[in-house]
Amino acid sequence: MAVRDFDLIQGTLDLLVLKCLATGANHGYGIAMRIHQLSADALRIEEGSLYPALYRMEEQGLIESEWGMTENNRRAKFYSLTRKGRTVADAELDSWLRLSKAVTRVLRALEQGA
Amino acid sequence: MDQEMAFHIDALAREYMHSGMSDAEAVRAARRRFGNVLRHKEAGHDVRTAHIDQLADDVKSGFRQLVNAPGFAFVAVITLALGIGVNAAVFAVVKSALLDGLPYSESDRLVRIYGGATNNASQIRGPLSAGTIDDIGARQQSFDSLAGFTDVAIEAVYGSDTGPQITTITWVEPQFFDTLGVSMMRGRAFRRDDAVNGLVALSGGALGQDAGAPVILSHPAWTRLFGTKANVIGRDVRINGIPRTIVGVLPESFIGPMGPVDFYLAFDRAPVVANPIAVRRAQWLGLIGRLKPGISQDIATAEVEQIWAQLVRDYPADNATLRTSALPLRDAMVGNTRSPLLVLMASAALVLLITCANLAATLLSRALSRRREFAVRTALGAGHVRLARQLLTESTVMAMTGGVAGVLLAMLTLDAIRDLLSRALPVHANPALDWGVLLVTTALAVGTGFLFGVAPAIAIGRTDTQSTLRDESRGASESPHSRRLRGTLVAAQLALCVSLLVGTGLLARSLWAMTGASLGFEPKRVLAGVIQLPVRNYSNPESRIRFRQQFEERVRALPGVESVATATSVPTLIRQRSGVTLEGTPSGQAQPFVLSTVVSDDYFRTLRIPLRQGRTFDAQERVDSPRMAVISESMARRFWPNGNAVGSRLRMGPDPKSPLVEVVGIVGDVRNDLARSDAEPMAYASTRQLPVPIVTLLVRTKGDPLALVRPIERELRALDRGLPLQQVMTLPSVLGAGLAGRRLPVLLMTAFGALALLLASVGVYSLFASMTGAREREFGVRMALGSRPRAIAGLVLRQGMGWIAAGLAMGSLGIVIVARLVRDLLYQVSPFDPMTVVGSIAILTACATVALLVPVRRATRIDAAVALRAQ
Repeated sequence: MAVRDFDLIQGTLDLLVLKCLATGANHGYGIAMRIHQLSADALRIEEGSLYPALYRMEEQGLIESEWGMTENNRRAKFYSLTRKGRTVADAELDSWLRLSKAVTRVLRALEQGA
Repeated sequence: MDQEMAFHIDALAREYMHSGMSDAEAVRAARRRFGNVLRHKEAGHDVRTAHIDQLADDVKSGFRQLVNAPGFAFVAVITLALGIGVNAAVFAVVKSALLDGLPYSESDRLVRIYGGATNNASQIRGPLSAGTIDDIGARQQSFDSLAGFTDVAIEAVYGSDTGPQITTITWVEPQFFDTLGVSMMRGRAFRRDDAVNGLVALSGGALGQDAGAPVILSHPAWTRLFGTKANVIGRDVRINGIPRTIVGVLPESFIGPMGPVDFYLAFDRAPVVANPIAVRRAQWLGLIGRLKPGISQDIATAEVEQIWAQLVRDYPADNATLRTSALPLRDAMVGNTRSPLLVLMASAALVLLITCANLAATLLSRALSRRREFAVRTALGAGHVRLARQLLTESTVMAMTGGVAGVLLAMLTLDAIRDLLSRALPVHANPALDWGVLLVTTALAVGTGFLFGVAPAIAIGRTDTQSTLRDESRGASESPHSRRLRGTLVAAQLALCVSLLVGTGLLARSLWAMTGASLGFEPKRVLAGVIQLPVRNYSNPESRIRFRQQFEERVRALPGVESVATATSVPTLIRQRSGVTLEGTPSGQAQPFVLSTVVSDDYFRTLRIPLRQGRTFDAQERVDSPRMAVISESMARRFWPNGNAVGSRLRMGPDPKSPLVEVVGIVGDVRNDLARSDAEPMAYASTRQLPVPIVTLLVRTKGDPLALVRPIERELRALDRGLPLQQVMTLPSVLGAGLAGRRLPVLLMTAFGALALLLASVGVYSLFASMTGAREREFGVRMALGSRPRAIAGLVLRQGMGWIAAGLAMGSLGIVIVARLVRDLLYQVSPFDPMTVVGSIAILTACATVALLVPVRRATRIDAAVALRAQ
């Protein structure tokens, strides 16, 4: 599976969104809230980045959308993962883990060296 | 999108409200945190419309390509315009003749029934007798309604306020328009009691007993004669001097199976059926029928054949030498134009394919020079698919531009050849660039753009970005794969071109054979015209003889006239056939049919028909003396195989009590049907003995025949002021009109062939010009290393001839296909006629070689030093 050459930040956001949706369909606000909660308030997604990312991934066929009703009976657009999205999410997670391991190693080595 | 954002903001606001803010504050805070909604919307929008933006960019790039290279653009657009335009025009013609509906309701339920003679293969679509129509009507069960009609439009003189005008009339049974399912635009259709005695119709109006009969006006006649004035209904008109009343006007789109007619009259066939001779011995009617619902064409055809078998049994003396056939009306009206039209469409398609191959090769070489541009874009992140899409869009833009120009070209062409077309196409065909044609043309343009764009698009995908960016100088040389692709494209063009040339050549040779074959008479410098002697003023046979004599004398006296004759019709347009019974044959037998015409003494001399035996007509023929006839060679051979025709006697026509006719002479055969190489047997009677009211004038002139039209008209007016000279034509143009159906496709295909030849030659030239240009360095190196210019030239020449040979080899398959396609249209030419095939190959090779010579010469002129230095 080819790795798309986005810059790091964009890629990370995509990964978070995809993995969030892997646990179940959600709307934009819900995704932002979830990530905020799970990161113990450390990560706050800018809505200005979230929606473009959602639309982009929808265009690429990684997620699909459907209008539905929330628990409060409000109308909202729900996103869910496609099969392609699931595959890409796993691949992205793989790359992220490898990357973070590599970065950690370099930093450690630099620390010890210095 | 608004709703989505609104929901999000709403949810945030509620959150804030939960944590204690007031409503208004909460909303404000939520909005602030959500950021500039508009910006998000636009960002979101951008992602969505990225595709459309890309497409717009590609289209703009496409136009830029054309604008930046005007020379190439001009040639490309012109080539496309020709290729697409030709197809648009041909499709419009084919559609109007073969696809468009006939102007009748549910025309696929209509059937045409023909008669014909069994001993005459050329007359398979002939008329039926009134008795046969009566019997078919009585015995059939497949048809809801049947209607007979005279299959010809007869010229008649219409007396208008501005003087006599020539119009056409025809007779139909009263239920004719109902059977076709046509309702009048104004007025009413025919009723039973509108019908005139059928014998009047049989005589062509000569009996003149139809005064006051109702007529129906056709739409073109209404426009032409009455300027579409509203009050024509009920108006009296004088046709051939006899007053008649207009009761209806037909809709604009209507045209009958007999062709364009001005006035329709109704006839009743009962009197003809009651006449014991005319009932089955006069074949003069066409028959159409509307099938009952649920009955198929095949069932009806089988029933007609069955009924006919019964009729042959019941009336052997009348029907044994006749036959019938039934066809769907559409097929009957299309006639034998289907094959030539399809061949024409195939040729146009071939030209378009050649155009595509040509442009594909050109674009490939242009894509080569744009390699750097594409390499840069690939490095910046554009995928191969993206670039391919751009190239395809560019080529589609080019094709659409060419398509628009092509449609304009097609419009102009159709207007220019409309007259030629109307003579060659079936009567219901009215070629126009309507929505159907435009739709097909657009699809064609898009398909063309794709077809010639796909080659460079694929080629781009295969180029190696790295090496292109890095290595400038070596990048000038083409990959062998790309060169082979271009060479194949040029070879394909040559193959298609040679196929087209062979097809055209075969049809042209057929036409040549048809026109060149001996007619039996000399048409050059003969003028023809028709005078109809109205029954009112010339009811007495003597008056008709006198008119003829005086008129012939007057015309003979005009300067520039070599000889003058009159007859019942122009040669090759003789329609009358008579049954022949030899003296001594028992009278109950069925009669074989021969062509029959009535001619004046000088007829054979004027037309230069040779006398073989005996004599032609002269003053010995008198009205009261025994009937004489002159017969053609083939008739003599057929009926008197032992050769003693002259002096024998026979009976002409169906009446066993008619006087015996003596054969006084045998003349050379004259071909009446130009499509056949043999001549039908013909019998000539003398105008001295049968003074018919139709006078077809034939004048052999010393100079230009048309110069004598005015003097002849003057002489005619001097004799009888009310008589116009009708259907004035020279015999060569009569022959030309008869061949129009065959001539037009050949003309058009020759034009296509020339176009294809030009395109293929240009293709060869540009391929080798660019290849030589690209290999300049290589040639420079070779020459520096000691090769002589001639050797370099030889190299290029050999390569070129190699591709040309490959093209011809591919073309051999095309030739086989083409030969099979045109087989049925050929006349005295074999489908693999060696002269045509060899000639086509020779022409193509010659053109391609000439096109090749220019780059070859350039190759010899390469200055080694310059080539090596250049980058």
